[in-house]
Amino acid sequence: MARAIVLHTDDNVATLIDPGGAGSNVQLAGNGGGSMALNADVPYGHKIAIAPIAAGAEVRKYGQVIGRATTAIAAGEHVHVHNVESRRGRGDRPGGQ
Amino acid sequence: MDTAFLGYERPDGGIGVRNSVAILSVMENCNSVVRGIASAVQGTIAIPTLFVRGQLGKDYETTMASLAGLAKNPNVAGVVIIGLEPVTTDELVARILPSGKPVEAVNVQLAGGTIEAIAKGTRYAARMVRDASRLSRVRVDLSELVLGVECGGSDTTSGLSSNPAIGVVADRVVAAGGRVVISETSEFLGAEHLFADRAVNREVRRQFLDAVSALESNVLAQGVDLRGSNPSKDNIRGGLSTIEEKALGAMAKAGKTPLVGVLGYGEAPTAKGLHFMATPAPAVESLTGLAAGGCQMILFSTGVGNPIGSMVSTTVKVTGNRNTAKSFSDNIDFDVSGVLEEGEPIDSAGERLFAYTRSVASGELTTSEILDVRETSISRFGLSM
Repeated sequence: MARAIVLHTDDNVATLIDPGGAGSNVQLAGNGGGSMALNADVPYGHKIAIAPIAAGAEVRKYGQVIGRATTAIAAGEHVHVHNVESRRGRGDRPGGQ
Repeated sequence: MDTAFLGYERPDGGIGVRNSVAILSVMENCNSVVRGIASAVQGTIAIPTLFVRGQLGKDYETTMASLAGLAKNPNVAGVVIIGLEPVTTDELVARILPSGKPVEAVNVQLAGGTIEAIAKGTRYAARMVRDASRLSRVRVDLSELVLGVECGGSDTTSGLSSNPAIGVVADRVVAAGGRVVISETSEFLGAEHLFADRAVNREVRRQFLDAVSALESNVLAQGVDLRGSNPSKDNIRGGLSTIEEKALGAMAKAGKTPLVGVLGYGEAPTAKGLHFMATPAPAVESLTGLAAGGCQMILFSTGVGNPIGSMVSTTVKVTGNRNTAKSFSDNIDFDVSGVLEEGEPIDSAGERLFAYTRSVASGELTTSEILDVRETSISRFGLSM
């Protein structure tokens, strides 16, 4: 089973340290446990949600905010640039956020 | 535990981990002479520059100070400077002379053109290499080390394994009374609150936060989205989604000791302990700033694979990505993928890296040195006139 690490108890994402296949399960380790089902292929080193994340909600890793969900994200779903965005250095946005 | 290493003593008290003769260009029209001399004489390193001529104010000062800093780096035994005309050349020589190391200069206009300048510079370089070769390494304390910490081609393994392992070495160097410099200003966006809390006083804290906010203000003033450059395309392929995520992993290179000082580009740390240097994130510009600031060695973490090293500061490529450790092995010096693969504790990987770091400091060559995957690029801030 592919493995994923949860870095902090406040986190809502885990980082895969094996490639994960659609339909397979991922074993959570670190500050998380149990397993999650993947609904799509997730590459080595990429992240999955370990709990549902609402659109606009904070995405947390290292116990810190790493960005904002641009759409609702289901548990087990791949979390990456297609559904999370940075809040920093956004000169394209009024007020920079 | 023995933490000494074997290094070369320089006249100004600095300790070199290498013993190269630098062939240094004062301006871009001299680079061909620099390359000609460096290819003719073993034991030399070529340091070309793309600017100086036509630069003013902060740009001129940064370029000249950085060139002088590269020349004064203790890894350099002596310097042959190639300029076009004597006034600018003499100014650079004057900045290097306080180091006490041998300096010779050739001006292409006065030497009689490219061929004569190469001939004259080659003779200087050949004598300087022979003199340098008479020096022997001596045992020196780890407190003499100025260590840069860098990352490039990062992925999610960087923040989980290679950066924290480098952080363990950084802590060992600081504990021994040495200096550590972390750079890459943009790679603190989203993590700066945590790093600022490590500042030894309010002034250092303010200087650090000012450097980060000045960079972000520049991005906002341009009306651009930082995501166009950072995280980079290969960072994203490696699983990093945002600059905040990248920054929180990058910061681990700095270990856990207090932040004692904030440095401008290419500025040398004068106090012992951990420093931050304001540099752009691209590796060559950042490595050049660290080398100009006197770092003899740089521990460089890579996830998806970045081969580059500094021309002057011996660069060690460290990866925690099991795939990169295999597929990119020609350009990897140290593998800490056991952290994620086999559960090796970070402290254990860090101690192994620390032992390797001392071996490299004592003379073991790294991949970027052996393959000569080395570049120099000094930051510029405005237009040439």
